[in-house]
Formats: sequence, C-alpha cells, structure tokens
Amino acid sequence: MKTKILLDEDQMPRQWYNIQPDLPSPLDPPRHPGTGKPLVPDDLRHIFPMELIRQEMDDRRFIDIPQEVQDILLLWRPTPLIRAHRLEKHLGTPAHIYYKYEGVSPPGSHKPNTAVPQAYYNMKEGIERISTETGAGQWGSALAFATQLFGLACTIYMVRSSYAQKPYRKSMMHVWGAECIPSPSTKTKAGQSVLEKDPETTGSLGIAISEAVEDAATHSDTNYSLGSVLNHVCLHQTVVGQECKEQLASLDEYPDVVIGCVGGGSNFAGFSFPFARDKLKGTRKDLDFIAVEPAACPTLTKGLYTYDYGDVAGLTPLLKMFTLGHDFVPPAIHAGGLRYHGASPIVSRLVHDGVMRAISYHQSEVFDAAQTFARTEGFIVAPETSHAVKAAIDVALECKRKGEKKTIVFNCSGHGDFDMSAYDAYYTRQLADYEYPDQLIREALSQIPRVPGA
Amino acid sequence: MFRIGFIVNPVAGMGGAVGLKGTDGLFDEAVSRGAVPRAPSRAEEAARLLAGLPIHFLACSGPMGEESLARAGIDDYEVVYNVHKERTGATDTIAACRIFAESGVDLVLFCGGDGTARDIYSVLGDSIPILGIPAGVKMYSSVFAITPEAAATILEEGLETGREMHIRDAEVVDVDEESYRRGELATRLFGIARSPYRPGLVQMTKEVYEDPDEERAKRNIALFLREVIEGTPDILYILGPGMTTAAIARELGIPKTILGFDAVKAGELVASDLEERGICTLLADNPRARLVVSIIGAQGAILGRGTQQVTPRVVRALGKENIIVVATPHKISQTPHLFIDTGDAELDREFGDSIQVVTGYMIARRVRMERSLPG
Repeated sequence: MKTKILLDEDQMPRQWYNIQPDLPSPLDPPRHPGTGKPLVPDDLRHIFPMELIRQEMDDRRFIDIPQEVQDILLLWRPTPLIRAHRLEKHLGTPAHIYYKYEGVSPPGSHKPNTAVPQAYYNMKEGIERISTETGAGQWGSALAFATQLFGLACTIYMVRSSYAQKPYRKSMMHVWGAECIPSPSTKTKAGQSVLEKDPETTGSLGIAISEAVEDAATHSDTNYSLGSVLNHVCLHQTVVGQECKEQLASLDEYPDVVIGCVGGGSNFAGFSFPFARDKLKGTRKDLDFIAVEPAACPTLTKGLYTYDYGDVAGLTPLLKMFTLGHDFVPPAIHAGGLRYHGASPIVSRLVHDGVMRAISYHQSEVFDAAQTFARTEGFIVAPETSHAVKAAIDVALECKRKGEKKTIVFNCSGHGDFDMSAYDAYYTRQLADYEYPDQLIREALSQIPRVPGA
Repeated sequence: MFRIGFIVNPVAGMGGAVGLKGTDGLFDEAVSRGAVPRAPSRAEEAARLLAGLPIHFLACSGPMGEESLARAGIDDYEVVYNVHKERTGATDTIAACRIFAESGVDLVLFCGGDGTARDIYSVLGDSIPILGIPAGVKMYSSVFAITPEAAATILEEGLETGREMHIRDAEVVDVDEESYRRGELATRLFGIARSPYRPGLVQMTKEVYEDPDEERAKRNIALFLREVIEGTPDILYILGPGMTTAAIARELGIPKTILGFDAVKAGELVASDLEERGICTLLADNPRARLVVSIIGAQGAILGRGTQQVTPRVVRALGKENIIVVATPHKISQTPHLFIDTGDAELDREFGDSIQVVTGYMIARRVRMERSLPG
C-alpha cells in the first residue's frame, strides 16, 4: 500500500480546466458597482490585465498554461497526494482518506498556483506594480514570491488582526521584496474612512480589498490582484484537482467525498472542479462535495444568495454569490484566510444548485482535528486547512459507524508553520467559539444593495 | 499621588471558619465557636505589596485599617475615621465611605465579603471604583480580586503603566444569609459598581477577542440589538438587568431600570421594573416576545441569579429559543462556567450544554454551560 502518490514533472497539467462551459446554465454576470448593468471587459481594464479579464468570462473548457508559468510551477508541482494510513488507523475507519498536500510550495500553500500566472499576465502587459490584500498572509506571501520572479513591485494590505498575529508572514513578504501595510491604513480613502468610524477595528479582507483596489485604480502603473473568489483564480487552481484525479486513477481509486475549506473558495474550487465536471456530466451523480467554513463566518451555510460587492467600500463589481453582507466584519478567528463575507460565484452557484454542500465548524473543534492530524500524519496544518481536516475526520467516523468503505479526499491547502500562536491560543484555551447569529442578523440587515433588474 | 480609601471589616469571614456561612447577626455565636478575625491579616498581605508605590491612603483607625497598614510598613496614610466602639459594624463602613467620597479618593480598597461590598456600594454607587480584598464567607460579587496578592497586582500594574486603570462593571450581589445557611443560594443583584481589572490574560492572545474593551463591546452589542429590535417592530422585547442591557436601552433612547426587567416594543417603552406577574400578562398579550439577558455575577448565571422575576413559568411561556443572551467578551473570559438555574431542573436541561451569546456587533459565540452549579 502506497503512502505518497507522486507524479512525474511531465505529468503536471499543461492546461487549466474551466468549469464554466460545463455549468447547466451560464453564470449571472458581474454587474457594475455604479450602474448595476452587466460588466463589459473595458470596465475592468484599469485594474486587471486583458488576459485575466478574458479568463474571467471564458467559454473555452481548457486553457493553455503559458510555458513561463509552467516553468515556475515545476519548482514544487506536481504536489504529493498522501494516503492518511495513520489517521485512518487512529480513527478505526474503513474509509480511505487521502490528502493533496499543497504546503510544499515555497510560500507554503496553494496560493502561488494563481499568483504566478497573475503576475505573469500583468508583466506581459507592462504593469510595474501589483497591489493586493491578504488575510492570514498566505496570499500576500504567494504574490510577493510571484511578483519578484517577474520583476514587479508588490504592495500588500494585510488585515490588521493577522498582521499582529502572524508577524513571520510579513517577514516572508519582505524577503521577497514586497511592501506590507497593515489594513485599514491611512494610505487610502477607504482605509481612512474605516479608521474614522472605528479606530480599533480588527480589519477584514473586505476592507483590505477596498484599499488594494483603490491603490490600483488611482495609479496607472499599478494593477490589482485578488487571491480568491474570482473565476480566473479558481481556474488557475484547477491544477490541484487535475493532478489529484490522475494520482487517484493510478491507484484505481475515485473519491466518494471531496472536501476543502472555503474562505473565498479558490482552493476548494481548484480541488473540486475537475471532479465536479464528472458529476455535472452525470457520470458521478452521487459524488459528495463538502465546502467547509468557519461558524464565525458561515457565508455558504448562512448567507444570502444575491448580488453583493466584493469589498467593504463597494468599489468592486457586484457579484452574484452567497454573502453575509459586504460590510460584515467577521470576528478575528485564527483562520484569517476564511474571514471573507462572500464566496466564489461559481462555488456559490454549485452550492445553491445542490451540486455541492456546505458545513461549518467552530474554532476549537477544528483545532482538535488539527491536533489529531498532527499527531498521526505529522503535518501541522494552517488553521484554514484544519477545517477540511475536521470534515474529513467526521466523514471517516461516519463511515466507521455505518461500516462504509468510502474514499475521502481533501485539499490540505497549507502548512501552519507561521500559525503557532493560534495553536498556543488553543492550548491555553483562549480560542473563542465565535458564531454568526444569523436569525438576528437577518432581522437587522438592510445593507445588501438592491440591484435594479437583478 | 493616587488616593485610596482603605477600609477593613475586621469581622468579615469569621463565621465561615466555624461553619456559619456568614457573620451577619451571628458575631457572638462565631466568637463563642472560637472564630478569630482574619480580615486584618488578609488586608495586611495586600498592603505589604503596595508599600513603596505612590499611594496616599485615607484609612479608618485601629482594626478597620490603620493596624493593617502600619504592620505592612506603610507610613503614607492619614486616619480620617475613628472607631469608637469595640465591635465595628455596617454603620462604621457607611460612615467611613461618606468621608472617602467627600475627600475625593480615586478608589476604595476594602477587605471583607459580600456584605461589606453591599454597604460600600450603598454609599458610593458607581461614583468611585471599588476593589475588594477577599476575606468574607461569601464572595459572589464581582468586585473582588481572587486573592489579596491579585488585588495588589491589579493596583500595582494599573499605577505602574502610568495610564488610566482599566475599569469594568462589577455586580454587587446581595445574598440572603438566612436561606444561605439552609443551603439555598438566594442572591439578588444589589447594584453595579465600577471596579479595576487586569485586561486580557496574556498580551499575545489579546487579539483573539473582537473587542477587549468593555465599553466598546457594550456599545457594539447595543448597536446590533437596536437594529434587531427596530427591524422587528412586532416583537415585544423584555430587557433584563445589568449594564449591557442598559446600554441597549440607552441606544434605543429609552429609560431602563438597571436592576429590573423592562419591556420595549417598536422602539417604545411598554413597562418598567416588571415582576413575574407583569411579565406573564405582557406575554399573554404579545404572542411574539423575546427576553434579552446578560450574565449575572461572577458565577456565570444566565437565569436564576438576580433574575428571580423570570420563573420557570415565564421561561416556558417565552420558549427558550426566544431568549437572547448578551455579554461582553471580557465578561465571558471572567466567567468561564455559564449556567442556567431557573429552579426547574428539567427546564434547565432543555437548554442543552451550550448556548449562543451575542458578544458584539453581528457576532456571537457558542459558550459551554455547566450541568451542576458552581459554588
């Protein structure tokens, strides 16, 4: 029985898989934040390169990965798929558990899978600097890594609570030559306005996005880059799921359950879409997809499926997605990368249509699971990833109860080497089990914009 | 120079050591059972750690403070109240506190139990922060530090940082000693004082909390609940006692009895200081109603302590899903064991082993509840 299932370099995918043509009906179009009308590519030109805008609304099923991008991805790809023998034994489950380990990339997560192509396309169009936001710092460090490979400058607005909690993520960004600013900052109007209202805010991804978008929109040499949510980001992550599919096929395995954590949704999307294609085609009707999110920020399980802004200030296009409201500032949980009010429009659509399902967990129970994982498989995972671990363990235990021999795969999206303060908080019982009082919020909520004609 | 009014209730705690569960009205009995004063030495323990700090003490004579200070090696004090009789009592505590208030002290540091806290609060209210060195039999009030050392540490750190001391709301609880001796804990919320505390537990993990500052957290909770209440004009809301619910009333612009239950509907005050019967009448008239309560006292009671108006009958009429619990993150960190004690064990069990507590604007936490009562 193999433990690590490895692919050769020449087995790395040469194309991204675009799920859009396989959806039963086209996605609802993104809309202009000012007029509410469907976006045209020109609306995005001041912040994104044309090739990414094209990919955002693409109808090609497979899109070639540029050779320069492949060359860099080969630094760590293909990533291993690992059979969790020791975890299975510990749980006493008849289920097979596999995890795709994305923590082997230089920044330590799945994020460079899209940071590299995004930096590449910007470089090709003559852009000199990229601005972005980061929650826990995984995205910021990935983009810092990618931009310096192509000689671009990089400005990163890092959510304030994470900036304090994860100082070494910030150090990594500096090593790769990027500028890292705690958000909200006084550098942007969006940041200033939040600070005026609440000088002690913990910050949020939604606020940091506003700052980064404003930075890009007000500097002609600067573009904006988003680490999740958008279709082109999910597209770039599909190398993960494609590899996983091939690795499982080499063992004659096919999953029954596909699991990933969801903040903006890109790691889950990239992992699951190549499998979702089979379900959408009708060849794997019973395939179970589980998107796992924090109870503190339960976008897919408690949010509304509607048009909303991607950021706090309302600068981004309106996207049809599950949302908790663009001005919702999630509590400062340690899984900072999952603190986002919205979710990928494609993942949202698939959850809404019942192709996939979503569940949520409290903070302390996911750390229980992360501890079990670390003490069996050895890897100390990021707090974000621990949500997927928890779900995998729960499914495996259910298999044990029912005597089912299912094949479970989850995306082990990143290591937790820079999250040890979160583990410390867990061991000193300092973790609060935040949750979202959805009934009360629905009654209080009136901030979600109404879009004419939508 | 920081000015502290210092008062020791020398008889506090004497009953406890000889199994009397309180000394109120039983001083002679306690002495006959061999009880000796312990508060002066507890006070001395704390005072010893305060020697050398820039503090000017205003004290009471003899065993009510002066002796403890002198033995602790503190010389920067003046006696502002003289005890003339052998046995001190509540009247002395009250008289001394009046003098402290007139002299304008920054804080009153006292050594005693719940009874002492109650007497001090009856004079000072929330005008001057108070901090208790624990020496009594029962200390259900939140104004007490855990130990004499802790009391000294709170003051020491507050003075050393050179900043303003962190002050929180702290319940003063009145315990009926008669029923306490029979094994029943009948507490009543007597008032809400202001008391210094040590914020956070360790600096590193402070960021975990959405809002470590109590005042800000209360405002955030109040803002959220205002939006909920205004968004549901057909629902009657009964606001329970405490400062967090008072903040909600303030946000709504309606008056609130700090210790009572007040009803509000569609932004208007419907009734004040309700007793059980009044609540039941309102519930009969309003098919949709909710109760908003906070955590009471240092023990972590949600229902059952200081909320006797909410009887099992009221809870059943409301339905447990219509009880909204609110509390600041600080309050939760101070009261890790929440419990419900309606007086009906079966009903208490229906609440399960955890409960949602609203802790900020659009934020809640799931907090574990204890099956058995602490204390």
